[in-house]
This record gives sequence, structure tokens and C-alpha cells, in this order.
Amino acid sequence: MSENVFQPKIVAFLCNWCSYAGADLAGTSRTQYPPNVRIIRVPCSGRVDPLFALKAFQDGADGVMVLGCHPGDCHYQQGNYFAQRRYALMHRLLEFTGVESERLFVDWISASEGKKFAQVVTDFTERVRALGPVPIKRQTPALQEVSA
Amino acid sequence: MKVLTQAQLNEWLNHLAERFTLAAPVNVQGKLLYRQVDDSSGIAWGFERTDMSPKTWTFPATEPILIIEQGAETRLDDAPAPAPTVVFGVRPCDARGALAIDALFLDKEPSDGQYARHREATTLIGLACPQMWDSCFCTVVGGAPNSTEGLDLLLTEVDGSDGAAYAVQIISEKGEKLAAGMPGEEKGVSLPKPRLAKGLPTLPASQEWKAQFNETFWKQVTERCLGCRACTFVCPTCRCFDVRDEVVSRQPGRTVLQRLRAWDACTSAPYRRIAGGHNPRPTQHSRLRNRFYCKFMYYPDDFGPLGCVGCGRCIEACPVNIDILEVIAGVEQLAASGSS
Amino acid sequence: MSALEEQIRSAARQYLENGDVSVVIGYERGPKGKVRPAFVHQADDAERLVWSPECNLNLVTYLHNYKHSPRRGVPVPRVAVVVRPCDARAVNLLLHEQQIKRENVKVIGVTCAGSEVDGELRQACTVCQERVPVIYDVLVEPEQPVEVPEAQDDYGDVAEMESWTPGERLEYWAKEFDRCIRCYACRQACPGCYCFECVAEQVFPHWTSIALELPEKYFFHVMRAFHLAGRCVGCDACEVVCPMDIPLSKLNRMLAKEVEALFGYHTGDDPETLPPLATFSPEERLRL
Repeated sequence: MSENVFQPKIVAFLCNWCSYAGADLAGTSRTQYPPNVRIIRVPCSGRVDPLFALKAFQDGADGVMVLGCHPGDCHYQQGNYFAQRRYALMHRLLEFTGVESERLFVDWISASEGKKFAQVVTDFTERVRALGPVPIKRQTPALQEVSA
Repeated sequence: MKVLTQAQLNEWLNHLAERFTLAAPVNVQGKLLYRQVDDSSGIAWGFERTDMSPKTWTFPATEPILIIEQGAETRLDDAPAPAPTVVFGVRPCDARGALAIDALFLDKEPSDGQYARHREATTLIGLACPQMWDSCFCTVVGGAPNSTEGLDLLLTEVDGSDGAAYAVQIISEKGEKLAAGMPGEEKGVSLPKPRLAKGLPTLPASQEWKAQFNETFWKQVTERCLGCRACTFVCPTCRCFDVRDEVVSRQPGRTVLQRLRAWDACTSAPYRRIAGGHNPRPTQHSRLRNRFYCKFMYYPDDFGPLGCVGCGRCIEACPVNIDILEVIAGVEQLAASGSS
Repeated sequence: MSALEEQIRSAARQYLENGDVSVVIGYERGPKGKVRPAFVHQADDAERLVWSPECNLNLVTYLHNYKHSPRRGVPVPRVAVVVRPCDARAVNLLLHEQQIKRENVKVIGVTCAGSEVDGELRQACTVCQERVPVIYDVLVEPEQPVEVPEAQDDYGDVAEMESWTPGERLEYWAKEFDRCIRCYACRQACPGCYCFECVAEQVFPHWTSIALELPEKYFFHVMRAFHLAGRCVGCDACEVVCPMDIPLSKLNRMLAKEVEALFGYHTGDDPETLPPLATFSPEERLRL
């Protein structure tokens, strides 16, 4: 990785039943995708409270991905439908308060879509790289000399 | 007494701003707050009462008080020392508020290190009130619109030959040091008498408060309290705080944490909530009553000064018009009817 | 004394005399002339109650103080509350969320001609089409019917902000949140904010720091707005009580606009319809 290029931190919440397996498939089939993404496995996209994204931004994530099962495929029948409604509103709320909604990416990826996973992560990383660091990251200026 | 014209004062403040962090009342979108200014032009002249007290400079709403480094060995560091600061435009009541906080943090052992450093680094330049404003009641709690207590310098607006002029009273050593090299000329001036408010109640003594603790009066006063923290946050003497250790950075083998202190308020429900969810002050009624008892009984009994300086900010800030003056008057009345 | 005041007082008196309720929550005038919430326990005290455009809080918030039995063996208190049309929607919200029981609450609905903040009609009131509360036991009516404004709410203020760049919007909110002191008056005044432990104060999990910097304030306000998405009744009590005058209603109005556009839902119309985030439609595909 080049030192001079901004390396965004990306947190990805992946549903255990689909996109996590999709990421696994991307790995086992040796598909390349950027190392900026940190994966967190969750039981369902419906488990990912939009506040998780807010907290991730606060703690320094530049982008957050929530990847769940395709509509109709939810292991728990309806989790991703709820997630869809929540994130539709959270997107607009972020946009309205001045944080680019592109930083919060929600999509559906099945266990067989390893290629799509790699593609989505690559595209998203580049988009966030272009946006730059998240503006609502917690700063602790008083501590910089200590932690330096 | 030295007298400064407005131009001389501006010049002196500009000079101070170069040497110190200069804080002064600034109009921030309609609210008067003590904020850092680069020069005198940013100051909201002619203000009455600011919306927040200058407590924000000696006891910030939130600040780190300890840095903790965990690695091969654990190291504790003091938080970064505050920069030398001059707060301009402090009202006499707010300076007395700082003295009230000192009684707990400095005068009693052990003293509070970070607060002591703030007080050490801060010089308070007062601006006397020409009158008591709406909701002001400093005279009820032993203050005055031109009181010098707790201040390092006190400026009083006097009639100048052209425009405003300020008479300078030097009160402390710190103030004397700061005033060295101040422009202006020595003149014999008589300071104007501030206009006092009339019809204010008399403050009952602490044992009178004690006797009224279980009165139904408190139910009536506190029933409409929403349980927010506005009154305590705008108060120049409220000093309760919450402490939390928070991770700043975490690397393999080395974690840096900060111990953060932030204002807390006895009027909010979580203030007294303990592990398991039990709350020794379970009702809003008991919580708000505590605020008044702290100010007029517990604090003076334990630490000396009253916990109220009569600035009237809580009266203005309260969204449901809980009026501390009404409470004082009510207790006075109860005490009178009880003793007769 | 206006006709409205007389009707409110007589309703309160009747409820208290008949023993229907143990307290009536309305407005009174403080010694300095400010209007403030009043709690009337005795029928004789009903004379304290007043009504004026300055009554701009949402008294439904106080119902949370009366939703539990005070002691074992004592029934849940019965309460009467004076409401404007927007407050009445909050009654429906709390009924839907099973916070209160209909039989424990008497609603004194006031025909509303808009409420004022600092002597000026609230912006939301200038376009409000609602004059009569959606839920009431007693309706307080003026002698002359109140006119409905011609202008409908087009969310013009929100739309204008949406035309800015993200940078401009962030700058705007950073400026507004800069004054926030996290006193939580907005939360306390809101009838929809009644969590036992607020996310902003939770230690485990530790959502946000107690610090007073922009990220923490941003988190708090955005979190609160999101938790009220599809639940906010638009009473603007949060904005009215804010000691720092932060335009919080803008956040809520923006979400109300989206909720209306996406799901055709208007909070508090009735206590039965599921709010948008508590349900879904399998066919819908939203822009994400």
C-alpha cells in the first residue's frame, strides 16, 4: 500500500447466513479485494442497529458496510426487510446532517456471490477514499503528544 | 483610581490576547457565552447576563484529568496543563460562584489537582453590573452587583468625557501583576451606585430549611420538573461531575486511556442510580428538592459558602419556569408560619 | 378569561369532583406571568388553569410519571391532561406503545389556533391544518371556529437545506451543535423519549463518550432524531425547551417528510396502525 494515498478504515457488518459466506467464498477462490475492510460477523442484517454505523463513524471508521441476504432470502424471514427501512431513513438523516450518505453502504449479497462481494468492497473502498476521512470522528487533541 | 477609556481598554485587551488565552462574552448565534477571542472586537459589549457562566473556563464541561498508559508497565500522567487564561467581563456574582466552588475543590483536603491548575492559570477581570437585571437576586444571598469578592480586577463603567470609561479596582496580587502597564490615567472618580431590585425575599437560615424538608410544598414546586440538567449546567456554583475512563488508542501491547471528567446534575435520574438499577432518590421530586437543599443547607453547612450566588440563570433557563426565588420565598413563608 | 379557559376549568373541576382522575395536568401562570405546567389535585384549584398561545410544551410527557403504581396495592393513578392537536398525537403514540392505558387517561382536547414561542407563531403552526385533536374525551371549543391556514406544509425549510452541499450542511449543524451543553432538556421534554436508560448515558454498551465535542453531540442528536423517526409528533417541545435555541425540529421535520414520502405514514393518527419501522412490505425496494 502506498504511504501517500489515504487508506480509509472500513467496517463491514456481514450476515452470517449469506454475505459472510460470500466473503469466505471470495477468500477461498482467491479473489482480491482491498485490505481496508474489517469484517464483523452478525447473525442478520436486521441485527445491525443503524447506531452501530454512527458509533463506527465516531470511533474513526470512514465507511460502514452492511451486507445482508437478498430480500426474500432472510434466514429469519424478515430481518433484512426491517434493515432496509431503517437504513433508508438513516441514509437520509446522515445526508441531511452533512455526512455523505455514500459512507454508509447497504446491499444484498448471497453466499454464492464471492465475486460480487470483492467487487462491492473494491468499489466502496475507492468511493470512500475519494471522500476522505470521516468528519465526525472523535478527536482527542489534548492527548496527541502523549499518544504520538 | 485608574480610569480607562473604551479605546484604551480595547487596546489593553488586544495586548492581553497576545499574551494569554483571552475569554470574554461572545454572542454565539444569539446566546452569550464565554468564548476565546482574538481581540476586543469580538466581545459582546453592553451585555446583561451571559447565558452560560464563566465556570466553563475554571471547571470545563468536560476535560481529561488523567492519562493512563498501559503497556509493559502502567504509567499515569497528569492531563495537559491549562494555558494561562484571562477571563474578561466576569460578573461579580460569577466570581463569587468561583469562590464557592473553591470551598470544595481547594479549601478542603485533598484538593482537586486539575481544578487547582485551572484556578492558578486563570485571572478574572470583573465588570460591575450597573443594576440588577431581571431575575437577579445577588443581594438575597450576600452578594452585590459591584461586589469584588473572588475577582482579580474589577472594572466599573463610569461617565467619561466622551463615551464609556472604566474605573479599575485592583483586588488581588494576580490582578496587580496583570494591571502593570495598563494604559489610562489616575483620576479621582466616585463609583456609581448600582440600582438594586426591590421586593426580594429574605434567605432563611439552614436550620429553617431543615425543618421544612418533608413539607408538601416541595411536591408542588417540583411536580413539573422535567428532570433535565439545564439549571445545573448554567449555574456558576454547581460542581458535580461524572468520571469515566475511555480508551483513546489501542495498539498491540500499548493502550492509552484518558480519565474524563464531565459535568453531572443531581436533577437527572441517572445521577444517583446505582448498580442493579436502584435509585436512592427515586422521584423527580426528591431530586429537584436536593438541588435546593444542596444550595442552601448541605453546602453551607459542610463547606461554608452558600451554593447560590443569585445570578438568576436557572430561572431563565428552566423550560418549565421553576423559580428559585419562588422557592426561597416559599420556605421563608413556611418558616414564618411554623414559628408563629 | 377566555371561553377556552372556562371550559378547561369546568372539565377539570368535573373530573376531580367525580373522582374520575386524581390530577389534571394543564397550564397555569407563574408569579412573574410566565405560563408553565400546572398539576391540579383539588377541584377548587381548577381556577388556576389557564390557556393561551404561550402554552407551547407537550404535557403528554408527564404521563410517564403516572404510568406505574406508586406502591404495591395502589392502582395506577388516573390522570387528565390538556392537549393541543399535536400533543394528542403523542397520546396515540403512547397508547400504541402500551405506555399508558386508555381508561387511565382523560384527554381534554383544545381546539388550537397555533402556539407561540417568544411572541411569534411557531413556524409549524403557520401551516398546520389540524385544529381539533385526533383523540379527546372533552373537546374545548372557542365561540368562533378557528380558521385553517391556506398554506399547506411543503417542508420548504427542509428542502432548502437539502439543496446545500454536504459540507454546508455539516457546517450548519456543527455551528448549531456547538452551543449544545447536553443538558438533555430536549429528551426530557419529549413524550416519545422515555427509555429507562438513554443510549447517551449508557455505560455498557458504551455508545458515546461523556465529552462535549462535536462527534459526541452529533451522535446524541442524530441518535435521538433517528429514535424518533416515524414516532415524532411534531410538537416541537424539544426546540422550545432548548436553553441554547438549537433548531432541533429541523431534524425531526426532515424525517417526518421522508416517512410521509416513503411510507405514507403520519404519526399518531390512531393507536392501531403500526409505525413504519415496526413493519415492512415484502415488495418494496428502497433507495439505499
